[in-house]
Amino acid sequence: MSYEEGIFYLVATVTVLGGLGVVLARNVVHAALFLIVALLGVAAVFLLLAAEFLAIVQTLIYGAAVTILVLFVMMLTRVRDVPQAVDGPQKPLAFVVGAALLGVLVLAAVSTDWGALGARESVQLVPLRDLGSSLFRFWVVPFILVALVLDVAMAGAIILARSEEGE
Amino acid sequence: MIGMEHAWLLPVLPFSSFVILLLVGKYLPRRGDWLAIGAMVAAFVLFLFMMADLLGELETGAEFEGVRSGIQWLPLEELGLEIRLGFLFDQLAAVMLAVVTFVGTLIVIYSMGYMKGDPRYGWFFAVMSLFLASMTTLVLADNLLLLYAAWEGVGICSYLLIGFWHERRPAAEAAKKAFITTRIGDVGLLIGIILLWREAGTFDIREIFEFARGGGYSPEYLTLAVLMLFAGAVGKSAQFPLHVWLPDAMEGPTPVSALIHAATMVVAGVYLVSRTMPLFDLADPVALAVVVALGLTTVMLSATIGLVQTDIKRVVAYSTINSLGLMMVALGAKSVTAAMFYLFVHGFFKALLFLASGNVIHGTERQDVKELGGLQSEMPLTALAFGVGVLSMAGLIPFSGFWAKDAILHAAQSHLNAAVVGWLSFSIFLTALYMARLYLLTFTGRPRDKHAHEHAHEAPPVMLWPVLTLAVLSTVTGFWAFDQVGEALGFPGGIGRFVFFEEPESFHFTAGTAAISIVAVVVGLAVALWAWGGEAAPARRLAETFRPVHNLLLNGYYIDRFYQWIIDRVVLLAGRTLAWFDRVVVNDTGVDGPAGLGVFWGYAMKFVQTGRLPNYALAIASGVVIIAIVVLAVRV
Amino acid sequence: MIPLEHFLVLGAILFSLGVYGVLARRNAVLIIMSVELMLAAVSINFVAFAGYIAPEEFRGLVFALFVITIAAAEVGLALAIVLRLFRNRTTSNVDEVDTLRW
Repeated sequence: MSYEEGIFYLVATVTVLGGLGVVLARNVVHAALFLIVALLGVAAVFLLLAAEFLAIVQTLIYGAAVTILVLFVMMLTRVRDVPQAVDGPQKPLAFVVGAALLGVLVLAAVSTDWGALGARESVQLVPLRDLGSSLFRFWVVPFILVALVLDVAMAGAIILARSEEGE
Repeated sequence: MIGMEHAWLLPVLPFSSFVILLLVGKYLPRRGDWLAIGAMVAAFVLFLFMMADLLGELETGAEFEGVRSGIQWLPLEELGLEIRLGFLFDQLAAVMLAVVTFVGTLIVIYSMGYMKGDPRYGWFFAVMSLFLASMTTLVLADNLLLLYAAWEGVGICSYLLIGFWHERRPAAEAAKKAFITTRIGDVGLLIGIILLWREAGTFDIREIFEFARGGGYSPEYLTLAVLMLFAGAVGKSAQFPLHVWLPDAMEGPTPVSALIHAATMVVAGVYLVSRTMPLFDLADPVALAVVVALGLTTVMLSATIGLVQTDIKRVVAYSTINSLGLMMVALGAKSVTAAMFYLFVHGFFKALLFLASGNVIHGTERQDVKELGGLQSEMPLTALAFGVGVLSMAGLIPFSGFWAKDAILHAAQSHLNAAVVGWLSFSIFLTALYMARLYLLTFTGRPRDKHAHEHAHEAPPVMLWPVLTLAVLSTVTGFWAFDQVGEALGFPGGIGRFVFFEEPESFHFTAGTAAISIVAVVVGLAVALWAWGGEAAPARRLAETFRPVHNLLLNGYYIDRFYQWIIDRVVLLAGRTLAWFDRVVVNDTGVDGPAGLGVFWGYAMKFVQTGRLPNYALAIASGVVIIAIVVLAVRV
Repeated sequence: MIPLEHFLVLGAILFSLGVYGVLARRNAVLIIMSVELMLAAVSINFVAFAGYIAPEEFRGLVFALFVITIAAAEVGLALAIVLRLFRNRTTSNVDEVDTLRW
């Protein structure tokens, strides 16, 4: 096992453990904390894939903004921090479906000949400058649209969440 | 000049009368009876013109094939079908039309008196007009399709007129019975027509004859077709076994019985066979043998049944069936002359008998001889006319019936066998017997119902004159058999030279046959006088002694009961089974089944909408997984 | 020198965990968190492909970037809905929100 692979396994283990915590934790707040772990793990994976900008963006947005948001909503919806039944009646079926999906995906990933599709041995580094210029040159239209989506989402969230008279 | 080419007007005149009466009849003065009568008078006058024209043609001595008129109605060459409103006027049609137009006119006039005061007076004349239009069309039709249409037309009018007083249950039932019974025959007729058309490719009668003479039909095929045609005649002309409707048809008003069920419609079967005689001739002899057999059976059946009936009109009805049987026997002997001669004179004396009965009914308001008797004194003229009718029907010389029956006997002797002649002679005896019985019980002897007798009165002139006219005609028309008489009137000779099949026939007066029939008649009359004269004691004793036979005859050999049993046990049973099948299998299972299934499925399916997000998410996820597995399997 | 399949398998595991979470959890907020997990897994896949198979034009990276952005917007909106739901029903248990049923 090479140096990189070892780090990969470490990061991967942490991420998976975080994911497991999200879906299995009894305590809701604990689940939120596990989410932070998982998402930061994903950021580390991005680093391993030589996408530093993406790792930073992931950390900032997910690790900070989204999780804060989640915790706030938990507070506002008065989730008890004592363990209670958080799993629904579909648990067994969900397990089956999840396992089946896992099997299919892993099978697909492993059995495909990635070499024939042009896979390289290692990852290419991505200069940030090139990424930026590409973003504003080739991908400018989706970029603007995404900005629009953010606007709408923000406005929508405000309208949905504000208090009415007498509430 | 008005001539034979105007034959198409003959049906048009009464038909127009019908249409007008139908639409505006109730607004016309006297409900428009004058319109119906006027149309018929005009038709008769037209007929006279046509006759004159015809006689003129015959005088030239050339081969006369009849004159055609009419229009093409629906040419459908792609189907090999051509529907033509075509009319053909020849000697055969002329004889028939003489009866139809003349007797028709007389009876419509008679109806003015008989139907007076009836709430549906106008409708009566309208349907009578329609009937006369259909009848003339039937006679004049030059193609089988039009003939069939007219055949059905007269059937409908018969139904409407028998059931004229349809508030009476028996009348409604009788009308139904008549229609259904003749319908059975009509199916045969239609099949026969289709069979003939199928090979010949045409409905035209003359063309079919050409085709048949040219050997276009195989003998078995032609025989079958001809027997099918005869089936129609069996129904319409009340031959055994479809004779059962005619006695019941007496529920209709007496003018209807006289016109339709004596003089014209019932003889349509005889006319049909006469018209298609060339086909019968070319077919296997078994066809004509069937005709003779059924005709003879009908003759004997009706004569014996009529002997014990007590309703005046029923007795006359059975005598009509008797006469129809005789005509069929004549046709079976291939003598169109004898049959048409009898048809001609029969039209007069049978109508006479019915109208005179109508006078009796009108005068006494009774129809059953058990309630009549001794009416000679109250209604002398009617009695006289009725007597003439009786003697003509019985066939006493010199009345017209004698000459016609003689012609039939002669034909039977020449072409059939002695057994037939024997039976016919016996039937002449029976006929004299029951006709005389009818006269004696109605007009002589002690009146059985004092009240009826006291109020009995002679008929009014409008009803009397037609009766007397017919009586005169019943006496003299028989002499048309002789060539001298015919030539004097402008005909090529006697009736035998006017209408014939293949060869003109002169009238032969053979002493042998004449003697047989005269003797039979006289003996019959004598026996009747003994049995029913005065107190009618001998008849009563005989009826008591032979009670079972008497009952058998009274019930018409229980044929009606038998038919009713078939209807109840077979037809209705089949109907009920089919109804059950339709209701349970087709409707409940076949139609409601899938519908119910759909409803049930909808109900079952709605439980999928639980409203819970996790359930929906599970469904989506499962679907995706399954598709992914399938794709993976297919790809790998 | 990490083979591509490793990243793909990691993405698969995280995705499956997310699916399980969406289907099994009761609390609406927990479901949303599981969705976040799924989106993150997808991003890993995209970036991995971008790194190993098609680095020109950085398609995978850009896509992952957009995924993150949209995910953030969606989370905000979803949580606003949960808040409103909570205000109306005093519950954030998705099993109890079932009026739109037969």
